Amino acid sequence: MSNIHMPVYLLVVLLGTALVIPLMAKMTNRIVNIFLTYAIMIAAILSVFTLVNVLLNGAFTYHFGLWHPSYGIEFVVDEFSAAMTVLVTVMSALVIIYSFKDVEHELEGHVIPGYYTLIFLMLFSMVGMTLTNDLFNMYVFMEILSLTSCGIVSIKRKRENLMASLKYLMLGAIGSISILLGIAFLYMVTGSLNMTISYDLIQNAWSIYPRNILVALGFILTGFGIKAAVFPLHTWLPDAHSTAPTPSSALLSGLVVKIYIFGAIKILFRVIGINIISEVGIPLFITYFAIIGMIMGSVFAIGQKDIKRILAYSSVAQIGYIILGIGLATESGLSVSLFHVVTHALMKSALFLSAGAVIYQTGKRNVNELNGIGYQMPVTMTVFSVGALGMIGIPGINGFMSKWYLSFAVLEAGRPLILLVILLSSFLNAIYYLPIIINAFLRESKDRENILERDQVPKSMLIPMGIIAGLCILFGFFPQLIMGVIERAVLTFFNI
Amino acid sequence: MVPSGSKEDRNKTGKQGKPLNKWYYRVLNYFCISCIIMFIITLLLVGAFVAVVIGRTSDGANGNIGGSLTVLYNLLDPLTNYAYLPLLAVFVPLIGGPLEAFIGKRNEGLRDFTVVFSTFGTFIIILAMFPQVADGGITNSIPGVFGYGLHFKVDMLSYIMVSTAGVLWLMVSIYAHEYMGMEHHRDRFYLFMSITFGGVLGTVMASDILTMFLFFELMTFSSYLLVAHNQSPDSILAGNNYIYMGVGGGLAVLVGMILLLFNTNHLDFVFLATELSELGWMQYLISGLFIIGFGIKAGMLPLHIWLPKAHPVAPTPASALLSGLLIKIGAYGLLRVTTSFYMPSADLISGKTDPLWALSKNMGIVVIWIGVITMAVGVFMALQQSNMKKMLAYHSISQMGYIVMGIGAASYLGYIGAMGFAGAIYHTINHAFFKALLFMVVGVIYVKTHEIDMYKLGGLWRQMPFTAFVCLIAALGITGMPGFNGFASKSILHHAIVESYEYGHPSFRYAEIIFTIVSGGTVCSFIKLFSYAFLGKCPEKFQNISKDGNGMMQMAMGGLALLIIGIGLAPGFIMDQFIIPAASNFTYDPYFIKKYLVDMNFFNQKDLLAMVPVYILGIGIFLTGKKFDLFHLHMPRWMDFEFILYKPIYKNVMRISQGVTERYETRTNNADVYIYAMILVASLFFLAAYLR
Amino acid sequence: MNLNAAFIYQNINYVGSSFLFVIGLYTVLTHPNLIKKIIGINIMETSVFLFFVSIGFIQGGQAPILNLEGKPVLYVNPLPSALILTGIVVAVSITVYALSMIVKIYEAYGTIELDEIMKLRSEEANE
Repeated sequence: MSNIHMPVYLLVVLLGTALVIPLMAKMTNRIVNIFLTYAIMIAAILSVFTLVNVLLNGAFTYHFGLWHPSYGIEFVVDEFSAAMTVLVTVMSALVIIYSFKDVEHELEGHVIPGYYTLIFLMLFSMVGMTLTNDLFNMYVFMEILSLTSCGIVSIKRKRENLMASLKYLMLGAIGSISILLGIAFLYMVTGSLNMTISYDLIQNAWSIYPRNILVALGFILTGFGIKAAVFPLHTWLPDAHSTAPTPSSALLSGLVVKIYIFGAIKILFRVIGINIISEVGIPLFITYFAIIGMIMGSVFAIGQKDIKRILAYSSVAQIGYIILGIGLATESGLSVSLFHVVTHALMKSALFLSAGAVIYQTGKRNVNELNGIGYQMPVTMTVFSVGALGMIGIPGINGFMSKWYLSFAVLEAGRPLILLVILLSSFLNAIYYLPIIINAFLRESKDRENILERDQVPKSMLIPMGIIAGLCILFGFFPQLIMGVIERAVLTFFNI
Repeated sequence: MVPSGSKEDRNKTGKQGKPLNKWYYRVLNYFCISCIIMFIITLLLVGAFVAVVIGRTSDGANGNIGGSLTVLYNLLDPLTNYAYLPLLAVFVPLIGGPLEAFIGKRNEGLRDFTVVFSTFGTFIIILAMFPQVADGGITNSIPGVFGYGLHFKVDMLSYIMVSTAGVLWLMVSIYAHEYMGMEHHRDRFYLFMSITFGGVLGTVMASDILTMFLFFELMTFSSYLLVAHNQSPDSILAGNNYIYMGVGGGLAVLVGMILLLFNTNHLDFVFLATELSELGWMQYLISGLFIIGFGIKAGMLPLHIWLPKAHPVAPTPASALLSGLLIKIGAYGLLRVTTSFYMPSADLISGKTDPLWALSKNMGIVVIWIGVITMAVGVFMALQQSNMKKMLAYHSISQMGYIVMGIGAASYLGYIGAMGFAGAIYHTINHAFFKALLFMVVGVIYVKTHEIDMYKLGGLWRQMPFTAFVCLIAALGITGMPGFNGFASKSILHHAIVESYEYGHPSFRYAEIIFTIVSGGTVCSFIKLFSYAFLGKCPEKFQNISKDGNGMMQMAMGGLALLIIGIGLAPGFIMDQFIIPAASNFTYDPYFIKKYLVDMNFFNQKDLLAMVPVYILGIGIFLTGKKFDLFHLHMPRWMDFEFILYKPIYKNVMRISQGVTERYETRTNNADVYIYAMILVASLFFLAAYLR
Repeated sequence: MNLNAAFIYQNINYVGSSFLFVIGLYTVLTHPNLIKKIIGINIMETSVFLFFVSIGFIQGGQAPILNLEGKPVLYVNPLPSALILTGIVVAVSITVYALSMIVKIYEAYGTIELDEIMKLRSEEANE
């Protein structure tokens, strides 16, 4: 259990599975699915062991090849990395189990092994990007993540998928280039690519070369802004997340976008440091974008008719919450931001997976055609209602707790007017989520009768949805299970 | 989905083809037997409860009435001393609901039996809580939930609400079995009725505002499904209105709660006037938010618009519960906030002129006037209605105006506000009973005649004598005839408003005048209802309505009528046993309570004579109205709140978002790289400008 | 820091890199043809690589080959060049992926001009 190689075993398992799947392409689906389930379960268990190890024994660093950190690659496994790794592996385990039956409907048969290869590579790069402590290593993982996430959007060979994926790729490339340029500016000043070593060097260099560091900040923030879908740089997100196959949408909206935010947090707090940032006024700058994103995301969502597009715009609004937490630049702000990462991952996955099940059974995506569907798919619509009520902020579901903590963080940071913005955005969320639930359960349509039936969706799709909804409610009642770990994790950003 | 009528139809011809007597077979229906048994047990229990209560207070711990009572006490000790009674009371309906839905798929009669049985069981638990509550309240906690834990505390004020809820739910459950024969999706209705019951119990037993908020939202969402039950387009519209305003009210309470917690570090209902008075303008913001949040639920003007839409479309048992109890929860929340957050604790003040009462006083003025306007507008709109349920809905708004005015008087008078407090609570109890009874009467009329317009009915007292009789009792109750329960509470409220202008600002004299006029209007409205529905000539099509199938409904109505008469004949019982102990828990002048409230003589000459002009005014308005046909007025468009406030807001929000989406979505999606370039340049410029 | 010819001559790498970045960004912004957009992105990537590699250059340094004579020698920093090798591979894979998608888009839409594709999509959305 106290094996320090655990994170690397995790990466090896994910990468190994990704490489082995194409070799198994000729076997039947059933064998491949069982193999994948085992692989992701092992990965999840390894990450949980790592988290337990870190919580009990403290953080540790892992040097690849035992090279000294100033010229080797270093992994830092502290509470933050371990907790977020657990989030990534557990969520993707549930989504992958869901996807076994769903991809047979959505994708052509011969691309399915390729799909799983891409997903495992994506997981590999997500875990790597969370754990790494080296700037260029982060860039490399980020590029792998960018390519594979474009891959899982365009794997469905419809033409709107291709356009959406191309736009995502182009904007993602521009974002990566900005980030690389920013890293270049930082490297000019410090000469080292390791984050912990750079921190001290930058604090010294701030008085000598302030312009370099500021230009670097500008490029890095804009680059991460594109990739993390901060308003108004979010324009690729509605197309990409709505046209992608359902498990991809869930992973993209729930996890991939957040990993870029983790990269941004790491650079802002661990490389440049909170002192310089507060001096320059970056938190205020970020807060403005966050507030506009929270409101405009919901405003755009009200006018949409495709259910997955509504959920995609809702993601833009929720990312606004996360950025707001970062922009408050206090410990409670950052902890509420990480809490909302976990909460949103759970809720948005529940929403996307249940929307996917509805599309699986009825083939309809337009919200106006889904009247009365609650009777034919009660479990699915219950999961959807749990996710939607959490987004609105009903107590008992974890979305309420993240709004609660966010309000307190806002008040502690001394910006009480933002409370009004949170209130307004909750109400706007209600405007577009409640009609979906009401239409599903209470309206009648000519296509179907309002008699309670069983969902005709396979069990392997219903069980992960149910587990995610159950986790939402569990963390809604007992949020301190997560908050305890997150508060310990946040200290690693402020106590350098 | 067969209504119970057809079972008897099937049994109509029994052995040897002889038609058997209908009522004989109905009694043998086991649901009815069990209901009758439970009803009789309830009557006995209530009687025993009353005796026990009187016995306790007349002679310490053991009653002097005889050794039999001591035996009864010893028997009941393990039940009444169980520490977790509040939690049990909340969870029994919450678990009973899904159980009923599950059973309902298999057997309708067994499901209805389970419904009545679970409400009956909850009622017994509620009755069993009394000894502990009278001793000083029960506290329960579930730790760890939400990080603060859920806390329940049953003091006398909560207990009054809880017992009213228990009795009302029991009667409505018995009533609902026969009414719901004409609705579909019955399982869903009973499921959400039970969940609402659990939510209501949780809300009133909560001891901090976060627990109350949790159950408040639960109650809003589950009662939404009762309102929108019919799934007709009107129901969905009314339901939308209800739930959006409910969510909005919940958000207002949430923001108030967050500001309160952040500024004073307290969530529980303790006396916070000292901390709040140090906050400056923030205290008015917090109290304003609470008034808006709870006022939406209570149906205060101008936040009342969901009420007249929700009642006509909901099935009658749901309307009875909505009007009878759910809107009282809003008033209860307001009362709790008034008596804890605005009230200083007893050892910190020097009397009624202490400056710590300033917040209470200022909020009291606002609340009294809101209450008065609500009363007036409610009764005016009620007189214009022909739909019976809509008329009763507007009357609910009007009566809630009374209650809110009472709360306002309690808040305004501060230290000597016990009269307003007592009036508000007493009227809550009374209104629950007679409004539920009135809705039940209207429901029976609807089941028999399928007609809800009172101008099209008439002469029904011959076909439904029992219903006409209980309707008369309820009408006399709501108008305040001495001998029925409304008289007691209206007199107390009258005293409260008189005290407001005697001890406070003289402008409240006008409030008192409006009070009297509104009482007259209420009389007129009920004369109108009774005469149009029951008296007069019976139209052709209603000559031969069926007379059977409503035994249970009549039993439920009879139970409520008995309560109305009982409270009316002995108003001091509730006052002395329940309301005065409740008021003693808060910072009210004990000397004032002793002088004016204890052993109050309700049937004194001044109060009795004060009812006479009210009745004369009512009859006068009715005759004038009939002569000049004043009952079909409409308020001018510019005064209709919905038109000037809510519809424009809603339309504008939808228009703005559609417009923004259409115009800007494609533009921003095409201009993605432009936006990147602009933001890059802007951020570099902003950062470089820092250095200048 | 005055912008005269000597300054530009000494830092020509960085100046050229910024020019290329702006040219690449302009290309992506203005040309509707998808392949030209990909070329623009390539130009932007090349500019960043140029910038990064130029960081490593030290005036008067020698090529970073191990000198076995033991004298301390000033070396040019080899690390950025090694990193940029990885970067070039990334750029190539992005270009390959984008070009293959453009081929598929051409098969699906019949055109690779972005404004025409947008027109086709809005017509499809308005049906």
